[in-house]
Amino acid sequence: MQILTKEAEHVIDVEKLTKRYGDLLAVNDISFTVRKGEVFAFLGPNGAGKTTTVEIIETIRTPTSGKVSLLGMDVTKKKRKIVRRIGVLPQEFSSFDRITVRETIQYYSRLFNCRNADIDGLIELANLKDKSKEQFKNLSGGLKQRLGIAIALVNNPDVVFLDEPTTGLDPRARREVWDVLLGLKKKGKTVFLTTHYMEEAELLADTVAIISRGSIVAMGSPEELIERNANYLALTLQSVDEKVFEIVQKMGFEPVKANHNNIKVRVQHPDDVQKILNTIKDAGASFLSLDVRKPNLEEVFLKLTGAALREDLAGGVAQ
Amino acid sequence: MSLRIIGANLIVSIKSFYREKTAVFFRLAFPVLLILVFGAIFMNQDNMHFGFYVQDLDGTNSSAELVKTLELNEKFKITRVDPAINATQYAKDNKLNLVVVIPKDYEKSLIQRVKRKDLDASATITYIYDPSSTSVATKMQVLNVVFAEINQRMSGKPPFITPAEESILNRKYRFIDFFVPGIIAMSVMTASLFGAVNVNAELRQKGVIRKLSTTPITHTDWILSNVMYQFLLAVISTISILLVSYAVFDVSLQLNFWLPVFVVLDVFAFVGIGMILTRVAKEAESAAAAANVIMFPMMFLSGTFFPVEMMPGFLQKLSRILPLYYVNEGLRASMIFVDNMVALRCSVIIGVFAAVVFVLGMMTTKWEEG
Ligand SMILES: Nc1ncnc2c1ncn2[C@@H]1O[C@H](COP(=O)(O)OP(=O)(O)OP(=O)(O)O)[C@@H](O)[C@H]1O
Ligand SMILES: [Mg+2]
Repeated sequence: MQILTKEAEHVIDVEKLTKRYGDLLAVNDISFTVRKGEVFAFLGPNGAGKTTTVEIIETIRTPTSGKVSLLGMDVTKKKRKIVRRIGVLPQEFSSFDRITVRETIQYYSRLFNCRNADIDGLIELANLKDKSKEQFKNLSGGLKQRLGIAIALVNNPDVVFLDEPTTGLDPRARREVWDVLLGLKKKGKTVFLTTHYMEEAELLADTVAIISRGSIVAMGSPEELIERNANYLALTLQSVDEKVFEIVQKMGFEPVKANHNNIKVRVQHPDDVQKILNTIKDAGASFLSLDVRKPNLEEVFLKLTGAALREDLAGGVAQ
Repeated sequence: MSLRIIGANLIVSIKSFYREKTAVFFRLAFPVLLILVFGAIFMNQDNMHFGFYVQDLDGTNSSAELVKTLELNEKFKITRVDPAINATQYAKDNKLNLVVVIPKDYEKSLIQRVKRKDLDASATITYIYDPSSTSVATKMQVLNVVFAEINQRMSGKPPFITPAEESILNRKYRFIDFFVPGIIAMSVMTASLFGAVNVNAELRQKGVIRKLSTTPITHTDWILSNVMYQFLLAVISTISILLVSYAVFDVSLQLNFWLPVFVVLDVFAFVGIGMILTRVAKEAESAAAAANVIMFPMMFLSGTFFPVEMMPGFLQKLSRILPLYYVNEGLRASMIFVDNMVALRCSVIIGVFAAVVFVLGMMTTKWEEG
């Protein structure tokens, strides 16, 4: 078996990274590593410090303290070398308004001196074939992001950074971006992703780090995180019958009233669900529908950050 | 510095330029239109100034000769009025400011005087004029001088005082000759200033600069690309201004190496100011507003449209601190007066200014956000 160098193991190595903007502590003593070939997601609400962290790793912001190495190089010293080996989709990516999709990709490949860049291949990968002659200003949000991803790949980078690739997109456009990202994952690219969206992290990431107010509050694979932090089942009962709530409460659970006549209960075992349903039936009460779910990252996230993550807010906030 | 990267930037800039029709208009067509409009206005005024009407009631060889004398080697443009009509009414109806009427029997009186030495024989030339016209008094004065000279010559005595003329200019220049260098300097200034504000403020605000800072392009490559692009546009625009000026107005301007020197310095000076502005004003809109605040006084007070000597003294002093003044003066010194010393002095002043603001601009616009 091949001996793995440190670089091969840890593409990104962040140790005790801190970043202050004046009095504001944006990133507070965080450490983590990203392995070669994995998709690593930074999951956190607005202002958590995601962009700050990513851009420090990308060499375009300077850390206050701590050590960050990328592909074995110190990011504060080897900027020239590092930028040639990474691909970046910045938050709120934008480009020259009147330059077409194909010309934009060509332009960036010239910057990297990639004479044999596979421009058609990139257009294909980002699913932009029909739009290759369209000017940037005429592209929809989803197309712009896909172009940004294609551009992030012109230099065939070792690591790809994607800062909120789907923020502000409608569900369909988001899915189309995910398709492109799944293609990247399949190719075995190392990807550093930041996002507000649990589904996104759950769908794409091998490792998720949840960041809140500058600190990493949990890290692991999506399954591990759920296992560790949300080891329960969420039962939702829809009922117009007032009795149902009391019955469940009397059984010793802690039901919560939600909207649309929904009652939410957390239980530890599938058996508990059975018990609740039986008791309601025996009491002659009724419900309209029921839903039992394993919790997803959203629950974990809310539990750990204590912050409500509202998509409408998350969508449009600019730095 | 990488020529390949600068080339890539130039391609993008030029494509963006010609795809944006309003930019093409303001950068290339607008200065040319200014030349055409102002050139036409002042050309017309020149004609009106030096033209008048003559009604020759005598219709003889002698009267025709007099009219020819009045043309003063084509300095005056003379239009004939039909002898059969009422000249006063005609002048009123057509808003003519001066009709000179040569009386019937002009030739007869002339022969009487010259051949028969009859001192009673004389001719009265009538000015029918509009006293509200500003130019008419001058025309009448000039005509009086011409008539006085004719009378004096007929007296047979040589004149005692004869004036001799010596011009401080190599040759006479017209308003359009003055105007063209001003428009060249102004259009290069506005394009460089707004070009720098746009690339530095707008692209920064949109995040394009942030993306670029994660690629191998350097800050120096970027700025050099923009300067080259502005210079390229300045060359195209200057050539089109000159072509139109020569073709339509037949300007007589000297083209020498000072022209590219001043265009380059103009570009550097105002790209530099633009870069500083984008640093002082954080938002793209406020940077553009600040550029306007700088541009308008510069346009009107530094002698672009009219000579600074026409302004009151304190404004003249003010114009001496405006960088565009030195571009205007330098270009006119080289293109109109062929005065190398003045051109050199202006180029040194604007050159030092350009170097300072450009270096300051480069130092103040950073890519990293800290
Ligand atoms: N250049 C800066 N100067 C001062 N404060 C900054 C700067 N950039 C970010 N901040 C602050 O640092 C904190 C972290 O910002 P950052 O952009 O890293 O968050 P984020 O997780 O990317 O948020 P979002 O999801 O909104 O993009 C925020 O409070 C932000 O206001
Ligand atoms: Mg961010």
